Amino acid sequence: MKNFLLSLIKATLLTVVLLISFLPMVPGLAGLISAAFGINPLLEQFQWTFSGFIQLFQFPGIGQSIFMAVNVSIVSTFLAVFISFSILKHWYQSAHWQKIENAIAPILALPHVAFAIGFAFLFTPSGFLSRLSSQLLDIVLFNDIQVVKHQLGLIIALTIKEIPFILFMSIALLKQLNLKQSIQCAQSLGFNQHQAWFKVIFPQWLPKMRFAIIAIMAYSLSVVDMSLVIGPSIPSTFPVMLWSWLSETDLSRHLMAASGALLLVFICIVLVYLVIFIEWYVVTKCKNWQFSGRKSIKLFDVLPTIFKHFSKNIKLGTFGLVTVLIVTSLSFLMMIVWSFAKRWSYPNILPSSWSSQFWKNELPYLFETFLTSISLALLSAGIALLLVLVLLEFNNRVIGKKTNTINKNTLKNNKHKHLLIPMILIVTPIIAPQLSILFGMQLASIYLGENNFYLWVLWSHVFFVFPYIYLSLDGPWRSYDRRFNKVGLSLGKSPLKVWWTIKMPQLIPAISIAMAVGISVSLAQFLPTLMLGAGRISTITTEAVALSSGQDRRIMAIYALLQTITPLIFFALAIFIAKRSGPLENRKAFLIFSNSTQKAEKNISKQASTIRHLQ
Amino acid sequence: MKHNMNNLTITNLNLQDKHGKKLISNLNVEIKAGEVLSLMGPSGCGKSTLLHAIAGHPLNDFSVTGDVSLNGKSLNSTPVEERNIGFLFQDDLLFPHLNVWQNLAFSLPDSVKKKDRKEQALLALKQQNLIDLADKNPSQISGGQRARISMIRMLLAKPCAVLLDEPFNKLDQQLRQEFRQWVFDLIKQNSLPVLMVTHDQEDIPLNSQTIIWPV
Repeated sequence: MKNFLLSLIKATLLTVVLLISFLPMVPGLAGLISAAFGINPLLEQFQWTFSGFIQLFQFPGIGQSIFMAVNVSIVSTFLAVFISFSILKHWYQSAHWQKIENAIAPILALPHVAFAIGFAFLFTPSGFLSRLSSQLLDIVLFNDIQVVKHQLGLIIALTIKEIPFILFMSIALLKQLNLKQSIQCAQSLGFNQHQAWFKVIFPQWLPKMRFAIIAIMAYSLSVVDMSLVIGPSIPSTFPVMLWSWLSETDLSRHLMAASGALLLVFICIVLVYLVIFIEWYVVTKCKNWQFSGRKSIKLFDVLPTIFKHFSKNIKLGTFGLVTVLIVTSLSFLMMIVWSFAKRWSYPNILPSSWSSQFWKNELPYLFETFLTSISLALLSAGIALLLVLVLLEFNNRVIGKKTNTINKNTLKNNKHKHLLIPMILIVTPIIAPQLSILFGMQLASIYLGENNFYLWVLWSHVFFVFPYIYLSLDGPWRSYDRRFNKVGLSLGKSPLKVWWTIKMPQLIPAISIAMAVGISVSLAQFLPTLMLGAGRISTITTEAVALSSGQDRRIMAIYALLQTITPLIFFALAIFIAKRSGPLENRKAFLIFSNSTQKAEKNISKQASTIRHLQ
Repeated sequence: MKHNMNNLTITNLNLQDKHGKKLISNLNVEIKAGEVLSLMGPSGCGKSTLLHAIAGHPLNDFSVTGDVSLNGKSLNSTPVEERNIGFLFQDDLLFPHLNVWQNLAFSLPDSVKKKDRKEQALLALKQQNLIDLADKNPSQISGGQRARISMIRMLLAKPCAVLLDEPFNKLDQQLRQEFRQWVFDLIKQNSLPVLMVTHDQEDIPLNSQTIIWPV
């Protein structure tokens, strides 16, 4: 009976996980496909038609719009991957790496919109760098054509924002690669460090980064919020165009938007296969370069002299890292300066007068928005965390208890592996275009109950936060040594007590960081909040994007700053908790028990002498 | 706990892997209080798996039939935490989030009151002249000390039988000899039946039974 009840509870929990985390994809996809082909009961359309696609392809500027989205996605992703690898190659084994790791963590927590606003304060024609060049060199550094028309701003901003993500994902991965010995081995065979990284580490690193690269590619393809702030506008990129059609009151545009959203999914699939193809070609198909013995890379031989000079004198890894750090810091600084600027006319380098008036004016409005953002973030991250814990524990049960830690081989040889929820399903919210999934989710929410906007927004946040928390905890859960559980059980403790007192305390550092990741993901959600909330739920992010189209930079800066600081506070809190929990050797503050131990020792001495006396 | 009565009996035990290959056929042994039965064999032959089966840990890739009983009571349907069988692994597996005395306090039976747990843990350390380690965290002490703490932790749970899975394997030669003697003395003091897996002849105490693979 006890076992039956436990099984029932487990099955119920698992069903809840599946319902909340994976169910949205069903109406999402079904709603999208049917609406793309003209079936939309909400608009009383019940006939299959291709007119959505016909209208879409006849729309002026659509080709350029699609091209721009694809261009931004491909260029920014490959630049981010290339520069990130160069940074790793140059810095990973250096004494400064720990400092670099500490520096990239806050950048990772920085929401895309806040970064885009800070970036715009730097690089727009009236931005800080332009002011600086105008004052110091008497030249105009940027104009609209350079930054906007060629999507340069969006490409550079996305590249800079994604580099810390790739570095962060690589850290855990490089630890598994036996890196030091591999490099030393290659060096003993006559390759220098640069060649060893390319020939030995790169072919191992790239396939393992596949999901991360696909996630970046999909995000940059369907990005709306950043494009609204720093992207081109005539025409805008494809996802922004779709978003504007969906926001229009003219419902006939919705058919075209649905067809466009389906096209976006198709483009995304093509790009995913492009990533997989390039990886396969470079690493598996055309692998001669890995063992040819050649010690220089042919590409560099044919480069123009200026590039050769550049590559010889300025290391790309250093250049990339310095750029990321400087641009992010300056963007943050610009937000602070603008939020307190009263008058800052072009081309002055600093404001001519300062004021905190804008903060005072905005605070009453900010408070409610801030509370909504925080409540959504805490609730969605909390719910997603619980669901992830259930799923991870379920996976543990499925994989079995024989192996000490879970790795690729234990999964490969496991007879129950078919019961595991496939990783592709878990990461779909990250690798599929958000706009397309949300289109269907919005339809489903309208069917089910139009007025529960907060609930629908919460649902969508849980849906998008879930994979990030899962990915954050999957590694620590796998590497947890399950023999500790066996020891606990053989010492006579119940499975629940073992889980609670042995496993959980060791995993608290990972859980607190995962929670912070979840909170920052939720805080950054723009489209889910706007689409599922039907514009009735305001968060700092939706307000920041809405304000970016207005011209008051001071208020924009206030919202961007708040959007930046909030996740940072949670990350700081998570790091604080992480450093005071988990294995003792990793803790900063230890010796909590030493005083009480001295007292107890005295008692023991008394007790021991009594025992001796009795003997 | 009535140590003198403790005996571990294995009757008609069969162990086979997922491909149907028989690793153990009809194993019948009785280990009395204070006795050590050693199992010797090459790596991968199923020695450790047998110990896990006796302890009650689930085995996914193996099937086990037969009966394991402790003091005449069959353990076949008893969950691992209720079997009262201590298990010493090859690694010390001290919980890294607890310091030494907390590791020991963890293993005390639930009936020991919260306020007494620390004192009992410290008393156990004092009896073995290891009191200086009480506040240390597991990574701060030597391999030999960790192995001793692990053994004390197991005994504090008051087991009725002990399974040793190559417990001396990771210690250097000098430590190994010392620790081995210390473990067998403690086992003798506590009158526990012991089933030990090893692949080193030197680990086997004098005048004890040994089973050499294949069984």
